[in-house]
Amino acid sequence: MDSKMVSVRINGSEYSVPSGATILDACKRAGISVPTLCFLQDVAKNASCGVCLVEVKGAKSLVRSCTACVRDGIEIITNSARIRDARKTNVELLLANHPKECLSCVRNQNCELQEIAAELGVMHDRFVQTKKKMEWDTTSLSLVRDPNKCILCGRCIAVCGTVQTVHAISLSNRGIKTRVSTYMEKGLGNVACTNCGQCALVCPTAAIVERDDTDEVFEELLNPDKVVVVQTAPAIRVGIGEAMGMAPGSLVTGQMVAGLRRLGFKKVFDTQFTADLTIVEEAHELVQRLTNKGALPMITSCSPGWTKFAEHFFPDALAHLSTCKSPQQMFGALAKTYYAAKLNIDPRKMVVVSVMPCTAKKYEARRPEMMSAFEHWKEKRAWSADDAFYDVDYVLTTRELSRMFKESGIQFASLPAEEFDHPLGESTGAAVIFGATGGVMEAALRTAYEVVTGKTLTDINFVALRGMDGIKEAEVDLNGKKLKVAVAHTLGNARKLMEQIERGESPYAFIEVMTCPGGCLGGGGQPIPTTWEIRKKRAESLYAEDLGKTIRKSHENPQIIALYKESLKTPLGDLSHHPLHTSYQKRGLFVWKTNGHRKKEPVSTK
Amino acid sequence: MDGTETLSKELQEIDGVITKHRGKHGELLGILEETQLLNEAQFLSEEALNHVALRTGVPLSRVYNVVTFYSFFNLKPQGKHKITVCRGTACHTKGSKALLEDIGLILGCGKALEDGEAFYTTPDNEYTISTVACFGQCALAPVVAIDGVIHSNVTTATLQKLLKKFSKRRITS
Repeated sequence: MDSKMVSVRINGSEYSVPSGATILDACKRAGISVPTLCFLQDVAKNASCGVCLVEVKGAKSLVRSCTACVRDGIEIITNSARIRDARKTNVELLLANHPKECLSCVRNQNCELQEIAAELGVMHDRFVQTKKKMEWDTTSLSLVRDPNKCILCGRCIAVCGTVQTVHAISLSNRGIKTRVSTYMEKGLGNVACTNCGQCALVCPTAAIVERDDTDEVFEELLNPDKVVVVQTAPAIRVGIGEAMGMAPGSLVTGQMVAGLRRLGFKKVFDTQFTADLTIVEEAHELVQRLTNKGALPMITSCSPGWTKFAEHFFPDALAHLSTCKSPQQMFGALAKTYYAAKLNIDPRKMVVVSVMPCTAKKYEARRPEMMSAFEHWKEKRAWSADDAFYDVDYVLTTRELSRMFKESGIQFASLPAEEFDHPLGESTGAAVIFGATGGVMEAALRTAYEVVTGKTLTDINFVALRGMDGIKEAEVDLNGKKLKVAVAHTLGNARKLMEQIERGESPYAFIEVMTCPGGCLGGGGQPIPTTWEIRKKRAESLYAEDLGKTIRKSHENPQIIALYKESLKTPLGDLSHHPLHTSYQKRGLFVWKTNGHRKKEPVSTK
Repeated sequence: MDGTETLSKELQEIDGVITKHRGKHGELLGILEETQLLNEAQFLSEEALNHVALRTGVPLSRVYNVVTFYSFFNLKPQGKHKITVCRGTACHTKGSKALLEDIGLILGCGKALEDGEAFYTTPDNEYTISTVACFGQCALAPVVAIDGVIHSNVTTATLQKLLKKFSKRRITS
């Protein structure tokens, strides 16, 4: 922004603001609130809704403050009868075509359209509906679109195109027929969509939401024949409190465990256990690639939006992806092999539910290759294809879990803190920070350093890898060998590093990529709203939890050590290969031609 | 597409069009326009659009955005004859809605044209019926264009006569 200051007059008072600022910015700096709807800081300013209107002296019509810039001597009025009337009319026009189903809507009481209508005092349903009813898009395993609820603010398109550079959706047609579409109306499940769910996170209404699996999970919990276990991702403990009405970033690990027990889960485990396992495998994989001259840089693979992005947009660079499964999938595979055997449970009767900050995890759990527990047992027990099951049965987002808590009448804030179950609930500080951008890299370095050098790492805080910069770099000294590493969050930043690799100019040995802004703590399944301030608070809580743990290196997790001793023997060994490692497929852009990943049709959400 | 397979004649021609427009202002629009004109049935096939996106690097969703925004672009094969009824104010007051209904009756596709605004191709691909907001020929209202020729002061009777000329099939009067 231009550092030159200009003088502006807002509602009769003089203020000095930077010359490139928008009127909305200027009002914010002056502490004057201007209502907005389609505007989203750093993501979208399409000036489509007409809610942020202000009067500018000398201008013929009202001005949209989100895009109009200040100039020296400008006189702005933010409140007048004319402004109130125009803002209200614009919202009334949006409401004309918006379904009046608020009471039975998943975003009820968490809807920006609802809020703005209340804030502006809309009391009448003045205009008749002019749009025809449109079909839902239920093609995706992660997301459901209801175009009838769309107010064409353009945020989803901006976040998908500009932030993630995926461009799965765009506006189509014009005039009254304008809508948000995928290519040729094929639906999200049939185009190059990464399922990241950032569109759902920024949608002001319920036009894009996560596929709801709460009914299915409730049903499984009631089934006496099933052993239902749950795993929770690191980012849930800093998100679920917020979804239950607590302050953003509230760290509620113990209450979350207690709440899940009260929902009826037999065992409450931690995805952080397999996050530690991922680190051990991945650190060894890195060392192996360094010594055997494997494909470098190696890139992390725990973010399923990112791996699908690579499959679509960089199909010739898949050798760079670590073969490690994500912690969610490692957990599912181990729960239905190692743990099931240990407790003598029929894995067919075991139900693994994940709670994830992520919509892409719903898709990941249904990838056909994610049935390694079934593959493991089928020969031993002579099972047929009819017995087939996925490693992870259901994936719930933070938002879905909060709905289950509320529906069950759980008073979340007053729950006592409880501990995770053993053995799959044990984790280290290294696993906690998986939830923040840079965390996986930091955790991996803590382990890789000790694997390579055989020395104890004393300063384990890699501060350069923390924070919200889009691409972060660091250099580590492994026995005199300098390794450059990089961390990227958002697929737009990942694309930059991938293009560097394609040009043969990548200076890095190891790259961490997280699909969502801020890492998993800013995932597409997290509470709405998720802003940069909120992301920072969630990150602070994760790093605080790491600091509070006595064991902060993954390879020192006693249960991980026991797991290798009892079952897997050695990292990257023959026994760990099948449950813990995976492969990728070249998908390209024309997905509908090669789409063959759906085993069972997704059920309708209503 | 792995580059080894030979491209169809149409896709090769599209490659030529793309090379011609590369780097020019309004590149995508120019490419799409010429690509449509190359097609015998005057439309952009999915295959053609895929190819344009692949070669230009423009995201598929963006290509779809452009082809659905401009009424010039067709996503379905067009009829041999194009009938365009003006639905501007002057023509409307002179009864253009009735003319559109007449066309529906004559060609047996009344239901498809019901909402007074239309873009329809008969199943035999003989006729494409569309409407425009104004031809700028208001003094001659109502006007109907058939294959690019504008006919003025059109009545049901003249319509019947005009359509009869093209039609192989029997048109009931």
